Amino acid sequence: MADAMFIGLSILTIGSAIISLESRELLYGGIALAVSLLGIAGFFVILDATFVAMFQIAVYVGAVAVLVIFTVMLVRSPNTVTKRETVKRKISGIILSLAFLALFGAFIGNSAVSQFSFSDAVPAVDIKEIGRELLTYYSPVLIVLAFTLAGAIIGALALARREDIEEKNEPAK
Amino acid sequence: MGALNSEFRFGNFVGSIVQLVLFILAFVTLLVLPIIFFVLFFVPLPVVDGQVLTPYLFFSMMVDPSRTIPVMQFLIHTDLFRAAVFPGFAFAALIAASTIFIERKLLAKMQLRVGPLYAGKIEGIFQLLADGLKLISKEIIVPSGADKVIFWLAPIMFVSTSAAVVALIPVAPGWVAADVDVGLIAVFAILGFFPLIILLFSWASNSKYPFIGGLRALHQMVAFEIPFLLSALPAVIFAGSLNLSNIALSQNIFWNILVMPVNAFVFFISSLAELERVPFDLPEAESEIVAGWLTETSGMIFGLIQLGNYLKLYALAGLFVILFLGGWYGPQIFPPELIPGASTSDVSLLRLVALEGLYNPVTINSIFWFTVKTFVVILLMLITRGINPRIRIDILLHTGWYKLIVLTFINLFVVLTLIYGGILGPGGLISVK
Repeated sequence: MADAMFIGLSILTIGSAIISLESRELLYGGIALAVSLLGIAGFFVILDATFVAMFQIAVYVGAVAVLVIFTVMLVRSPNTVTKRETVKRKISGIILSLAFLALFGAFIGNSAVSQFSFSDAVPAVDIKEIGRELLTYYSPVLIVLAFTLAGAIIGALALARREDIEEKNEPAK
Repeated sequence: MGALNSEFRFGNFVGSIVQLVLFILAFVTLLVLPIIFFVLFFVPLPVVDGQVLTPYLFFSMMVDPSRTIPVMQFLIHTDLFRAAVFPGFAFAALIAASTIFIERKLLAKMQLRVGPLYAGKIEGIFQLLADGLKLISKEIIVPSGADKVIFWLAPIMFVSTSAAVVALIPVAPGWVAADVDVGLIAVFAILGFFPLIILLFSWASNSKYPFIGGLRALHQMVAFEIPFLLSALPAVIFAGSLNLSNIALSQNIFWNILVMPVNAFVFFISSLAELERVPFDLPEAESEIVAGWLTETSGMIFGLIQLGNYLKLYALAGLFVILFLGGWYGPQIFPPELIPGASTSDVSLLRLVALEGLYNPVTINSIFWFTVKTFVVILLMLITRGINPRIRIDILLHTGWYKLIVLTFINLFVVLTLIYGGILGPGGLISVK
């Protein structure tokens, strides 16, 4: 059952990823990207990491895909993608990426990751344990991360704020 | 009543009906029955009462009063029944339908109108049925230049996404279609699909009013998603779990709303915005932009989207009850037995009528109180619609981003103080367990 699900999800994810790259219509590409990200959430569910899966859906489908599609709609013009790739370039690209995949597969297969053994009784990742570690031993990391994100958001707001149109938008006090 | 065609012959009419019946009989015998038998040959049949439940046994058990209860007991505990009928789709659709009728009547009374009156003699009780028939029989008009694939898919996506939210809402201990460990996060993750669907649908309509409405919906939902999620957090901290059933179970002493009234308020406001209901109905502001992103919908496409909207209304009201109003807890008002002395009697028909073995007073009580509380929340949402004007979009965004997010933090700190002070929460003075 899990194998059938794995194969189905793989076809869904990789197929929609290919569609998102190959589609002439930019908007369909965006939708296919969202489906592909959804498929990755399905992989997380298979791996018993429902928490990560839900955040994958909430962040990537709910926010990133919406942002991409929104941008596509705003800048939409009929002939954005006119250049067709030649067959030669396509084949060489596929061969290159397959070689890259083989290289990474070899790396991971020979690393310590392949030595892990999982049992059905004990979950491989305990989300509560991760939370406890984050709040105790690794709390400085969490604080630094929080400050970095806050700094990034404040920076983005400062960049996005335009002084010249401020008066028009704000109601008169 | 239109006049009959002059070539009409009653004999021809009867003949055509007979022909149709013969055709259906031939179709069933030659095609449907073989397919059913072929499928049954490969499908593993369930075991009920020590016997394999074949279709023949199923029908004979259904007509035998002494053997009906076990097969019903088996049926209502299957996953399909849970997802499709009781805590899932059909139950929610029933509540959605009654909500639509109550809304029309209530709003009419509030505005000194009469509302639906003629269909079904008594206060227009069959108005909804008539509307449904009308929507089914209407032509679906696809605007010229519309993106057909998205235009047809989006309404179906809308309903199925709403049904997915409904499937996560528990109505009684153990009665939930999908009991997920991270139920609350799952609800918010699935709610995140709606802006995408609405945006795509409004774009696919190829018309300017839907697109304006779709952009407004996007802004609104994104602005209110964060206070929505944050306002539910203290309930999670209390329960120590993201599972919605556990959150409801953690309120058997007091309701969460007593400790976190501000959060309940924020959650209520945010769910109104998520549902695009008045005063936040900017995406379908009918006096400004025709009908917003619903402008180009017609016939059953409109019907599906309305169904999805009201399913979502039920789901969010149910979520409010689970998070803040103590879930399904309430005084026990159902008797231990439907008919006293039925369980010891020898008459099997009496045992059938008393639903011996099916009737569980605690579960029925839970379902009753959950439904009552959900209806109270739904009524609150309806009354809000009756008495409020639509607000401006800048006020809406200002409310979402500036005010509600800050308000959620106030109660979060109160709750954290109570927990670290050792008063509430797991292991506190007023402990749950």
